[in-house]
Amino acid sequence: MRKSNNRWKKIALGGAIGLAVLGFLVLIGDLVKLFIISAILAYLLDPLVTSLEGRGLNRLQATATLYILLSMVLGGLLFLLMPALASEFQALQTGLDIEKTMTFLDKVEKLIVSWLKFLGIRNLNLSQKFGQAMVDYGNQVFSNLLSVVTLITNLVLIPLMAFFLLKDWRAIKKRLISLVPNRYFEFVLILIYKIDQQTGRYIRGQVLDAIIIGILATFALWLLEVRYFVVIGAFTGVANLIPYVGPISGAILAISVTLIETGDFIHAVYVAIAFSIVELADKALVQPNVVAKAVNLPPLLIIVVIIIGGKFFGVLGMLLSVPVTGALKVSLQEGYKIFRQYRFS
Amino acid sequence: MIDSFWGNIFRGPDKEKENIRKTLKKIPIFEGLTKKELAAVERILHRREYKSGEIIFYQGEPAAGMYIIEQGKVKVYLEATQQVLVELHDGDFFGELGLLDDSPRSATVIATMDSTMLGLFKTDLLELISHSPRLGVKIILQLSTVLGRRLRKSNDQVQALQVKLHTLTQKRKANAGKTDAKEQ
Repeated sequence: MRKSNNRWKKIALGGAIGLAVLGFLVLIGDLVKLFIISAILAYLLDPLVTSLEGRGLNRLQATATLYILLSMVLGGLLFLLMPALASEFQALQTGLDIEKTMTFLDKVEKLIVSWLKFLGIRNLNLSQKFGQAMVDYGNQVFSNLLSVVTLITNLVLIPLMAFFLLKDWRAIKKRLISLVPNRYFEFVLILIYKIDQQTGRYIRGQVLDAIIIGILATFALWLLEVRYFVVIGAFTGVANLIPYVGPISGAILAISVTLIETGDFIHAVYVAIAFSIVELADKALVQPNVVAKAVNLPPLLIIVVIIIGGKFFGVLGMLLSVPVTGALKVSLQEGYKIFRQYRFS
Repeated sequence: MIDSFWGNIFRGPDKEKENIRKTLKKIPIFEGLTKKELAAVERILHRREYKSGEIIFYQGEPAAGMYIIEQGKVKVYLEATQQVLVELHDGDFFGELGLLDDSPRSATVIATMDSTMLGLFKTDLLELISHSPRLGVKIILQLSTVLGRRLRKSNDQVQALQVKLHTLTQKRKANAGKTDAKEQ
């Protein structure tokens, strides 16, 4: 009886500590976000650093060499793609043809009103709301300028944190393990290794999947001559990290742009078909080969964590919530599997 | 107590590293490794201190890797019968099969005096193989040699036992034949 009482006390204490840690993490949210993104970047780059180490470099040299190579590649890509990307972004900022959009919104409104007449809907004022949104957007430009400073700071901080994680992760891990009491030491050692492996595989799979989808979507949109195809394609790839919501939002964006730009419903249907094919290819060909099979999150859990991520950490939280939950699930699964093999009383 | 505390502070990491390297040089698995390679092995070792009577691992638990006794004494025994298989001390190593296969620990090991162990684990060895394959192969080859030598010794023992058994069976048959003849 006393033993079970003690166990409940331990569970309650563990829960309280967990909640306190969670609260603390929410309080220092920005730092947590930075750390998670850096860790993801480190997981992505780790196999490359390890393979450079295999060629006789030490960890510091390998990490530094990879950073130099990557900056050269990224610099080259930016140099080549900058003119095209810049003109696309400029077109995106100035090219949103307000008059065309207003006419399109009026058309949509008439259609919706004719469909929903039986509900008593007469006037939606869509175009007026759009106009207001444009004014709000203009007001936001100043606050956006401020966030550019944060963005640049983060662009420097994230690779820097990832660099130190890549270089020192083994030493940090060894130091952490040295703090574990003898009885639990082997268990923790195996657990950390398994979590590290599985999380790395999961994150690399997700990101690779997103990149492939991004490229496929960009290619499809380019074939269909949709305007801003690079930006929409990239958005679709990134959004793909959020299951269910991601692929649909990419498709909606592409269809809306096609409708606003051309006003041609048939063209929009082609875009929808192209997105369905990309989605199908993802589910049938890419995901089974790239994404770790062990991590199957139930749909309801995915929706809940996306909402929680969005609530506490914004859009980035929505993007990161699923990979982080996936990594947590893998950790719990592996932990339980190994724990059962030990005789802890 | 206070003496050992200050002793530990003043012993410093260099002295510790020197001790580890001295111990490693005596282990056949690390034979033929250069100074640089020994330093790489040392980086993946875990130094653990055990009190007298403390269990190092239990029979039946997952085998994570091997331990080298830097200083101290341990007893290896079977759980069911409490039969002591062997007692090991400074410079000896145990659990090396755990570096190669996934089968559980075949015996329990307990420290019989305050001891310091150096743990080399499969997880770390796998990481070492991925980033320093040449060194990894050297260690695995040496490990195979050690295990091969041990297997050959076991085979010889089994063979000797089989010969003994055969002789005994022959003797028993001969004796049984003689008794039958007498009875007739």
